[in-house]
Amino acid sequence: MVNLSKPTDSLASAVCAGHRAAIGKALSLVEGDSVAASRFCQEITGYTGQATVIGLTGPAGCGKSTLINAAIAHLRRQGLQVAVAAVDPSSTITGGAILGDRLRMTNHAQDAGVFIRSLSSRGHLGGLTRHIHRMVDVFDAAGFDVVMVETVGTGQNEQEITQITDARIVVCTGGQGDDIQALKAGILEIADVLVVNKADLIPAKTTIEQLRSGLALRQSGNRKVPVIATNALSGEGIDEMLTAANTAAQGQNSTRADRRHARIRELLAQSSAELVKGKVLGDESGLITTLCDQIAMGQRSIKDCATDFLHELSS
Amino acid sequence: MNSETTRPSRVLITKIGLDGHDRGSRLVAAFLRDAGFEVIYTPPWQSIDAVVDLALQEDVDVIGISSLSTDHLIVPDLMRALMVAGLGHIRVVVGGIIPDDEHALLFNAGVSAVFEPGVSSASICAQVTTFATEARNDSAATIDETP
Amino acid sequence: MSETTRKQRLGAYDQAVEHWENTYAQNLANERPIYNRSGIAIDPLYLPDTDPLLDYVDQLGLPGQAPYTRGIYSTMHRGRTWSQRQLIGLGTPAEYNRRMMKLLDAGTTAISLIPCNSVYRGNDCDEVPLPLLGTCGTVVNTVDHMATALDGVPVGEISTSMNDPSPFTLLAFVLNVAQQRNVHWQKITGTSNQSDYLSHCVANHMFFRLSLPGARRILLDHISYCRERVPQWNPLSVVGQHMQQAGATPAEAMAFTLSSALQYGEDCINHGMDPDDVLPRFTFFFDISMSLFEEVAKFRAGRRIWARLTRDKLGARDPRSQRFKFHGQTSGVDLTRQQPLNNIARVTVQAIAGILSGLQSMHTDAYDEVINTPNEGPARVAVATQNLLREEAHLCDVIDPLGGSWYIEQLTDQMEEKILAVMDTIAESGGMYRAVEKGLVQAMIGRSALAWQERVENGEQKIVGVNCYTTDDNETNDPSPATERPDSKTMGRHVESLRVFKRQRDQEKVSAALSNIARAANSKDDNVFATVVAGTAIGVTHGETVACLRRELGLGQPLIVE
Repeated sequence: MVNLSKPTDSLASAVCAGHRAAIGKALSLVEGDSVAASRFCQEITGYTGQATVIGLTGPAGCGKSTLINAAIAHLRRQGLQVAVAAVDPSSTITGGAILGDRLRMTNHAQDAGVFIRSLSSRGHLGGLTRHIHRMVDVFDAAGFDVVMVETVGTGQNEQEITQITDARIVVCTGGQGDDIQALKAGILEIADVLVVNKADLIPAKTTIEQLRSGLALRQSGNRKVPVIATNALSGEGIDEMLTAANTAAQGQNSTRADRRHARIRELLAQSSAELVKGKVLGDESGLITTLCDQIAMGQRSIKDCATDFLHELSS
Repeated sequence: MNSETTRPSRVLITKIGLDGHDRGSRLVAAFLRDAGFEVIYTPPWQSIDAVVDLALQEDVDVIGISSLSTDHLIVPDLMRALMVAGLGHIRVVVGGIIPDDEHALLFNAGVSAVFEPGVSSASICAQVTTFATEARNDSAATIDETP
Repeated sequence: MSETTRKQRLGAYDQAVEHWENTYAQNLANERPIYNRSGIAIDPLYLPDTDPLLDYVDQLGLPGQAPYTRGIYSTMHRGRTWSQRQLIGLGTPAEYNRRMMKLLDAGTTAISLIPCNSVYRGNDCDEVPLPLLGTCGTVVNTVDHMATALDGVPVGEISTSMNDPSPFTLLAFVLNVAQQRNVHWQKITGTSNQSDYLSHCVANHMFFRLSLPGARRILLDHISYCRERVPQWNPLSVVGQHMQQAGATPAEAMAFTLSSALQYGEDCINHGMDPDDVLPRFTFFFDISMSLFEEVAKFRAGRRIWARLTRDKLGARDPRSQRFKFHGQTSGVDLTRQQPLNNIARVTVQAIAGILSGLQSMHTDAYDEVINTPNEGPARVAVATQNLLREEAHLCDVIDPLGGSWYIEQLTDQMEEKILAVMDTIAESGGMYRAVEKGLVQAMIGRSALAWQERVENGEQKIVGVNCYTTDDNETNDPSPATERPDSKTMGRHVESLRVFKRQRDQEKVSAALSNIARAANSKDDNVFATVVAGTAIGVTHGETVACLRRELGLGQPLIVE
């Protein structure tokens, strides 16, 4: 049992040693923007890169959580350690959320080889959380073989999901045309595996055929996306689903390191943009005011003024 | 409570023991969500060990136990288990039907509040907010989270 | 009466109505509309139908005639009053027996045994922390325990309802006790009160966590076994109480219950049973709230809908299949912890509603129900309430006394409309089983629960002692003595005796019996309940039975929707 009253570097070593309490605390730490959080992330970087990260997305009600529950059981039987980050949307008004995904994963209570963390999006758009990549890193460093990230697919931020995962499983129940419409084009593009869940309840065959023909129209290059029928409650199709995801994860065009770089680049761009924005909005020198007046009077374009301002900053 | 640098408070709402009625706990979960909490909600019949492990995985600040018959009688066991697991900073509140002469048992074991039928949602939210802050302060004393 | 006089009188009536409407509007210009719990707008005054006789046979019927709106029997309470069936359960079987005998003396006419929560969870008492045992129900795990509980009770003559869900081990125990006493099973009467697994999944969770399909299978076996071997037993009680207690409005509770009953009827028919063989033994179990007129209208509408539904959707031809028989329990959710003596008045109102609704069996809550499992004194008052309503208030002298009230007839129609609308929603989702699987029902109940809570919190719904008419010493105005808990030594001995019993059984026979149960669960043709009855006869315990069936039929997933 690790003594958490020692400084952060001890937290990093506790996490890398797989201590459960430390993982719980570390996940909270890295959600924030503190110096300690950044330092911690740096410290564990060297221990990441082993886990297979699988994203699971799809419309609400398609049974993602139940699927994950079945997947965990399957992976555990193979002796693998599994972590799950389950993301639920939070209220944009109050900021609160009821995080209920783990309700369907109660079979794995107290299995030391399973760690489930419920997350709310906290205002971050796109179905994930702002620092989800850090949380994946924590699980990775802690030694989990498979990290599953569950989120409601909104089709808004496929780029983000692609950057942090090695493979993406997209789930629908089909039977109702709406579900397939709900899978917006963006989501289908990034899918490595398409799953039609609750195969016992609906005419799965029709949906599978529809999806295959829909995909055929969109397929680019050699990427063949398997469409798999599953029944999360009986376990049917789970093995197939996980094998397909794993195959996709191994066969990615980009390496893990490349994707990570792309992600870091993205984050750097975001961080830079935030800093600049802060400077623009908080400028007290009068320069911004002057520029704004010029724009308002039609003398100069916004782009020109922005370029000017950046020159000012770097000089 | 929701400042930019601090995360929302997290509450675990659960039932230990044998009873399965959860109308009250669902309502409290909804109130807390509306007050800005992140609420982790479980089905009834959780074992004490399971609750401790959950609290650990989810790094919650407060645990809310619903008890309508006698399940609160084993809350002291939960308090002990939390201490042993190094989770003594977590505040525990109990809600439901608890006979007057059994309140002392709970407070002596370290429970922070007992909510009985008729207490308003506003009161619950206010108290839980305070407890969550206390728990976070106690926990953060071990980790420096300055931005 | 001459035509002129007739016209004059009718004209005078129209004028009078208009005059009243105007006066009312002047005096209460901007009155806010009032809604009952089911969301139906309630008018200040109700006026006569033009000709009530025209629709009488179709919509109301005479008592004992379809559609039974006024009553399922021609004589109703004049012929036979309702069974006073108080739920009792606490402590050890011996303690239960003592309490039950006292209540029988005090006027209870039927027995209802409620088992300990540990039994609901599928455990034997030696698997559970001692302080949790026997606080809300009796700890019965074996045939011997049941024999003790029913010591001195003539099982072939008095109705004994059992309150356990699948796989109904309590009935299995009762049947074995009857056998020991040479009482023919054909004489056993009572009901499996918690056989409605759908209601458990939705609103109570007091289910064993058998998978949904597993519970479905066992219920069918149970119904078919009882039909043959215990023909006077009601194997199915479709429960609206759980939903209403969880927050469903009265109309929703009735709608969900009828939808469940329809589902069970269809399941039986698909299983090869004749509707007229099983439907007469379908019974219902409802909550009775304090909304008196709404409850009466709810039940009248329920009778009417069930009569038509069984005929039109389930193909019932026998009138006995169309009868909506129900047990009512006064709603504990209406009671308050503050100023608990007020609960006596509340239960009285609820009991009146139940009697005027024409129920067949009733349980009245004790006033300390909100504080603990009832003490003896309060439990006696609950029974006395029923007695005085019958004897002193003469509530049984007239069948359907509120029938013909313009309010009640209109409200019955409106409740029927609401109920049918909700039933349509369920039907569109593929029936009750599917709707529950999808979480639709749970979501509706959750919404209604929240809406009620909001009304109480903002004061729109006043509750005496809680948000109005409070007193400073609310909390200390507690008439009950210190909380009565089972004596831990007595319970400890009970647990120990079970351990001894388990050790001293013929272990081979027990294993063989459990294998039989497992085999039956895995075969489509065997009857699981039959193997449970046989197994318990040789000493298989409740916990062992449930554990076995969980293994074979699967652990249920919690059907919770946020």
